Amino acid sequence: MSAQTSPALYPTTGEPVAVNARRNRLGLWLCIISDATGVVALLIAYMYLWSLNVNNAWAPKGKNHWALDWPFWAIVAGTVLGTICMWWGVKGIAKGHTGRLMAGALLSSLIILVAFVGQIIQLSTFPFGPGDGAYASATFWLAIGTAIHLSLLTFLTTAIVGRTRAGRITQENHSHARLVAMWMTYVCVAALLGAIFTTVMKESPNSNAPTFGTFQN
Amino acid sequence: MSQTAVIHEQMAVPQPKQHGKPGGFLAHTNIFTGLIGGVVAAGVTYFIGDKLVPWGTQNADFSQVGLNALVFCTFVAWVIGFMAGIGAFAGPIRWALGHDLTHDDAEYMAGKGQGRMKYWKYTTDHKVVGIQYLVMALVLFGFGGFFAMLIRTELGATWREVFDPNFYNSLIGTHGIVMIIAMIIVVAGPLGNFIMPLMIGARDMAFPRLNALSFWLLFAAVPPLVLNLVMGGIRDGWTVYQPLGTQAPIGMIGYQVCIITFAFSTGIAGVNLITTIVTMRARGMTWARTPIFIIGTLAAAIMGLVWFPMFQYAQLLAASDKVIGTSFYIPQSGGSVWLYENLFWLLGHPEVYVIVVPATAGILELMVVFLRKPLFSYKMAVAGFAGVVGISAVVWVHHMYMTGFAPQAGYPFMLSTELISIPFGFLVLVMLGTLWRGKAWNRLPMMAVYAVIFDKIIGGITGVYLSDVPVDQYMHGSMFVVAHFHYMLMGAGLFAAMGVIVYWFPKMTGRMFDERIGKIGFWTAFLAFQVTFLSMFVAGLQGMPRRVLQFDNAFDISNWISTIGAYCIGIGMLIFLYAVITSWRNGKVAPSNPWGAKTLEWQTETPVPLENFPVLPVVTSDPYGYGIPDPYLKVEEELDQDDNETVGAR
Ligand code: HEM
Ligand SMILES: [Cu+2]
Repeated sequence: MSAQTSPALYPTTGEPVAVNARRNRLGLWLCIISDATGVVALLIAYMYLWSLNVNNAWAPKGKNHWALDWPFWAIVAGTVLGTICMWWGVKGIAKGHTGRLMAGALLSSLIILVAFVGQIIQLSTFPFGPGDGAYASATFWLAIGTAIHLSLLTFLTTAIVGRTRAGRITQENHSHARLVAMWMTYVCVAALLGAIFTTVMKESPNSNAPTFGTFQN
Repeated sequence: MSQTAVIHEQMAVPQPKQHGKPGGFLAHTNIFTGLIGGVVAAGVTYFIGDKLVPWGTQNADFSQVGLNALVFCTFVAWVIGFMAGIGAFAGPIRWALGHDLTHDDAEYMAGKGQGRMKYWKYTTDHKVVGIQYLVMALVLFGFGGFFAMLIRTELGATWREVFDPNFYNSLIGTHGIVMIIAMIIVVAGPLGNFIMPLMIGARDMAFPRLNALSFWLLFAAVPPLVLNLVMGGIRDGWTVYQPLGTQAPIGMIGYQVCIITFAFSTGIAGVNLITTIVTMRARGMTWARTPIFIIGTLAAAIMGLVWFPMFQYAQLLAASDKVIGTSFYIPQSGGSVWLYENLFWLLGHPEVYVIVVPATAGILELMVVFLRKPLFSYKMAVAGFAGVVGISAVVWVHHMYMTGFAPQAGYPFMLSTELISIPFGFLVLVMLGTLWRGKAWNRLPMMAVYAVIFDKIIGGITGVYLSDVPVDQYMHGSMFVVAHFHYMLMGAGLFAAMGVIVYWFPKMTGRMFDERIGKIGFWTAFLAFQVTFLSMFVAGLQGMPRRVLQFDNAFDISNWISTIGAYCIGIGMLIFLYAVITSWRNGKVAPSNPWGAKTLEWQTETPVPLENFPVLPVVTSDPYGYGIPDPYLKVEEELDQDDNETVGAR
């Protein structure tokens, strides 16, 4: 075929696929920046309420009601593992091994699915409800944020499996797989930040809590 | 696989397998299937939620998650159902299955051969999206303007109460946020989409499907917002401060769903605008040869992209407080209202620049064309925009001086706010330098330039007063603030938008704008605007608080004047709108370059063909090569004589 001699072309615009890939990569970076602002908003909310401890209501009511640490880290570990699998597959397709991408993407999608289910389980087994004070609220939302990220990743990794099967991802044109892997790396960082926050910041440093809005003194 | 398609009559490109007819699923969808999808999804959600789950019944345990959750889910279902119905999910699904678009699919989706129907569909062509945005902005201005007339009616009728106070407050909030949304989209939407790719010599935006997505998300975001008026309303202004937001009736959820959805829309639009500008400029169009309007659009898109999620999450957490009972903003259970205000204004201030920056850049573009002079110090203009983008991130606390949040922070933020005058000053200098000894061609767009400069001075100087902490103690929450930001948003933003839309009207619609009627409308609105808002400064200085409908008789006269002025603005705007509609329908057919301008969008034919340029242009000089850089100086030096006549540009 003629595609062997000339560079692979993008079917709808006729540009070389490399041009298209570069453009998509910039677009992805911008998506990451925008999404990261949202994650930062959640982290600000967490840290702000933690440092203020308004009305002494940061901590959940009752003793020892903090969330367990290990589920956060387990989910981070799962996400990282899934990401590594995807990168392994991407490196493979770059060398022409379609099978390696298939295996990597498949593994990745399974691991991410497990992490997603784990995230749902964690959300439903917190020792507090979303209404149990500021810590509970902020922790719930860090977990919900990760759950949303993971559900999107489930779709993306599965889609890479589907596209590989359909023969749409080839050695010359594998940028979509690489972009998904980049996005997964970002999701790892976001989940990691959440885990660090919830692990490190539990008891509020503010023992002299301000009183507000309660009409008591 | 062995099929090929010939693209732009240049090359044969191998094509993926064609699945079904060109367009696939999208061949069957349009706004009506979207509306059906949205209404059905919302209806089913409401029905199931109300009947089967104990949400609708508000027992003591579920008091917070009851009705709120039901309404929230219903609105979200509307958005998802609408997007599904119009075909927004077809793309991702096809992508996942590996059913990639063929050239025929892409051409169908760009609206080829669909006549006017393409404006009602999930169309990817940037020119169609630009027109859709323009119409959407006009509709939003219609809503917002109507609400403004109702507000002024209440305030002018000082002898009686026209509206129920709660409804009046909801009107104010809805007017504010509708106008803010309209102003955010009015330049970056129609012109960023229709004109920008032409101006940089591209065939389309970088991500055509995201372009359609951003418009239709905006479309889906509006009904929940407007419906708030019949659902108890948003009674605490467009900023919907906490904890009032949490205590508000269910109308507030409409606001929240609107903002959450609209934030996706702006984020996606931002990604698209930035990527297009950075990667798709014509060969030879270096940064120094990029028209200033493009730089302004880029600056605005960056600010929106980076900061909008703060606003989105502020509303997401607010909705969460109402729907699942969290307590981010409820002090009794450890929340803080300052958290809300910080998240809100972290976007809130950059967002006012998202509005004025493209408008200002558009004005600079007009000055060049109507003065037939190169832009005075292009680099300074770029530096001005860059400075505004940078500093706008660190001024937000000037909206919170009087909230009790970190009083010590007032002074640093006063300093940073006043520092913004420096990059702003750059832009003013560029304007003055370009005007200097220019010979103006006084068409309607050029008149907008004068109007905007006038308004911007008043808005800018009053802003500096407000950023002064001791002064703000007296001014905060008064009508003075309201007058300040109307000078900026309407005086500098909307009048600029009117000017640039008139300027690019011939390219967008293929018709000349009826300037005779347009000018009558424009100047009526402009003069009435001064009457309305100068008098509002007076009310503010006398101490009249904003967002109240009963006030002391001392403020009567200035309110009467403002109300009369406002009605006249309304009349002026209607005249202008009449000019827009009649010119669009049966104006004189426009030539391809009626202003003799040098930028690329005027070099292609009108109406613009589907692929924009038959052959992609190559740029060899900067876009402002009107005569020699400073004709007078050069001539004076060389000939040592004053020779205005021969070099007088145009
Ligand atoms: C010279 C530049 C400017 C300065 C120094 C400035 C300063 C300020 C300050 C200090 C306030 C807070 C007043 C208060 O609530 O007590 C304020 C309010 C406001 N400004 Fe400006 N401003 C400037 C330009 C602009 C521009 C360009 C826009 C919009 C296009 C704008 C829109 C607003 C709005 C919407 C508010 C009121 C928000 C509200 O409380 O509802 N300002 N400005
Ligand atoms: Cu501000």
